[in-house]
Amino acid sequence: MRFLTRLASTIRYLALAAATAGALATAASADDAPTITVGQTFIAAGLDPAEGSAGWALVSHGVAEQLFTVSREGRVVPLLAEAASRDDDTNWTVTLRAGRLFSDGTPVNAESVAAALNRTGENNPAARATAGRLTFSALDDKTLKVATERPTPVLPAVLAEWAFPIYRETQDGMVFTGPYAVEHFEPGSRLDLVANAHYPDANARPNVIIRRIADGQSLALAFKAGEVDLAFHLPVETLPMFANDPDLAVKSFAVGYQYMMWINTQRPGLEDVRVRKAINLAINRDDLAKAARGGVPATGAYAEVYPFAAMGEIRSDMAAAEALLDEAGWMRGADGARAKDGVPLELVLWAYPQRPDLITFQPVIRAALEEIGISVTTQVSENPSDEARKGAFDLFLWAQHTAPSGDPGQYLGLFLESSGGNNHVGWSNAEFDAIVEKLGRVSEPAERNALAREAQAIIAKDAPVAFLLSPQWHVGLSKRVADYEPWGSDYYVIRDDLRVSEH
Amino acid sequence: MAAAAQSGARLAMAWLLVVAAAFLIVRALPGDPAEILIHSNTVAASESLIAEYHAAWGLDRSLLRQFFSWLGSYLTGDWGQSMMTGRPILSEFVSRAPWSFAIGTGGLALATIGGFFLGFRAALRPAGIADHLSRALAVGSQSLPAFAVGLVMFWLLAVELKLVAPLSGSAGERLLMPVLLVALFSIGSAARVSRAAFGEARQALWMRTARAKGLSEAAALWRHAGRHSGLTLLAAVTPELAWVIGGTTVAEVVFGVPGLSEAVVDAVLGRDYMVLQAYIAFVALWILLINEAARTARLALDPRLA
Repeated sequence: MRFLTRLASTIRYLALAAATAGALATAASADDAPTITVGQTFIAAGLDPAEGSAGWALVSHGVAEQLFTVSREGRVVPLLAEAASRDDDTNWTVTLRAGRLFSDGTPVNAESVAAALNRTGENNPAARATAGRLTFSALDDKTLKVATERPTPVLPAVLAEWAFPIYRETQDGMVFTGPYAVEHFEPGSRLDLVANAHYPDANARPNVIIRRIADGQSLALAFKAGEVDLAFHLPVETLPMFANDPDLAVKSFAVGYQYMMWINTQRPGLEDVRVRKAINLAINRDDLAKAARGGVPATGAYAEVYPFAAMGEIRSDMAAAEALLDEAGWMRGADGARAKDGVPLELVLWAYPQRPDLITFQPVIRAALEEIGISVTTQVSENPSDEARKGAFDLFLWAQHTAPSGDPGQYLGLFLESSGGNNHVGWSNAEFDAIVEKLGRVSEPAERNALAREAQAIIAKDAPVAFLLSPQWHVGLSKRVADYEPWGSDYYVIRDDLRVSEH
Repeated sequence: MAAAAQSGARLAMAWLLVVAAAFLIVRALPGDPAEILIHSNTVAASESLIAEYHAAWGLDRSLLRQFFSWLGSYLTGDWGQSMMTGRPILSEFVSRAPWSFAIGTGGLALATIGGFFLGFRAALRPAGIADHLSRALAVGSQSLPAFAVGLVMFWLLAVELKLVAPLSGSAGERLLMPVLLVALFSIGSAARVSRAAFGEARQALWMRTARAKGLSEAAALWRHAGRHSGLTLLAAVTPELAWVIGGTTVAEVVFGVPGLSEAVVDAVLGRDYMVLQAYIAFVALWILLINEAARTARLALDPRLA
């Protein structure tokens, strides 16, 4: 009996020693790992994904993950989930991937996922935006039942929205499942991350310090001064500063925030599709790319990376534009300006300063339209949503991420469907509405992609909006992170493939 | 005692008026915080979602109810949560205010001390280097954009000369450039006040006596006019103390310092009513207290002002 007690005691000591050694080894690996400093113009305001847009920032920082995510190729793919299947209009079954752990070592199971997402749904209106309130319940350890308030054919895309990170509430705060765990946090200022020991390849990842530098110019100077290894993202006018620096590089990448110009179909003159098409034809997208010093001419509503992006170039054709205006009865006068029944064709072009590129575009577009006889005055508003909602604009330059969760349906329904909440241009097209209605039912990705392309073809034919440019952002990289590849706009900045470069 | 109570009541009334006016002005700013939040977060907007945000923030109630509810909570230490981030405002203020105070008071102290000596040299040699420099600084502070000057300072000290590490350095190192920037934009006016006070003293009859003692012009001026000029300068910069919080915005944004003003810039852009109201109420109280303290000090020094 005594022997057994001693044996048990010895085993306990050995187990304790092993656990201590393990913990020390993990700590040592975190201590020994190199540290990368990332400068960004944004940082999480808090560590609770149910508050504000913290969920988005935590995923972007590599701390949190979702059940589904958007891949580099723009596709919705499972992450913590394995699959999702639709039971009926408002009910889904989601199975979880096996073997995933939170950063404190506890397993990710259906119960913890349901608790987190029900809490988020309760507290954050953003989590109720697309399909209403989602209710999660655990059927077993790996299976969840999801009931949606409104029908959705694409629950995986909804769950890939930024509002749905997975987390677990503990006495010490939130724990997540991403490749990084939070070591120290100064809200709105600094976030210190260590590799999550319970995520594959933890030892290969460097530690990370994220610093918020609100001003882009200051971020560029901090990068030049060697204060940050990775500067996300740099204003285009600062790029010459790094052109001849052998230690610093800049990588540019296309982002999903499409630049477009709304054409208000309810305004005099613009109710005629020929005038709208003429405006679309007069704009040379290459000139806009030059003005913005970067970017790719848009082919449609979505950046080229997405599988539902429209194919083919939108070409400028001034002669065709002039012919359309002639046909519509807007004739040039002696001064070259067009008028119809004595009324001149004068338009007001709006933009907003939060996206400086849009302000840069104003004179370029004005010059192009004046070349075909349309006189344009420009206006700037600090409240684009307000101004657009009033509907008192002719043309409105706009930046919009058109597929933030990897699905084309939301943008089309919200901005261009007849009953769309943000249909500021007052456009109504039965054929288009039918496609959007179908997108509300169809869940097969290939079919959705085809429908989205069809919808874009109708938009191109009717021109309630002119798609202009897929902008590029610029990321500064020191030699230590020379192999970093930016993608996914600002949704996935720190990822599990972050490494210190060998050279 | 009665005077103190009267003074307190006057302060409280003034503060109440300011915060009530600010409450209305903030609400009158064009732009709906819910729409701005939805737009910036790329969320599918709808009337019902906007209404949900309004209800969550209490914006669906009457203005009067909103004001009194906010006032009651504010006075009992519950400053509410930021509309944009959902974080408690009071704890955010507690963590950010020290940075702003350090930059504001440090910059003002540096400007006062530097301005005093520069003004002394300028008064001693009119049309000399110090005189020209103080004038140039005074004019420059009115005409140069602080933002651009801050960036040039960043480039010169951190990029070219590598004298400071504004992000990765110690707290002192992080504060150095912001403090210098604030000081640079205040030192000129302080120097001109100091120069005028020393210059006035230089013309005084009692300076002849000082000179007659065999003191050099500099020693006579320093020894006999220093205190008088210092008091004049202090009287001039005291009102500036009221702006040590609000006057540090550019320095905080350019040098990435997590101060109060930096957060307020975001709050203005996002129409975060809760943060803006809390900030204005806090700054209003600070300004009123500083002015009251200055008034009390003036009365104590010169009872004829009563």
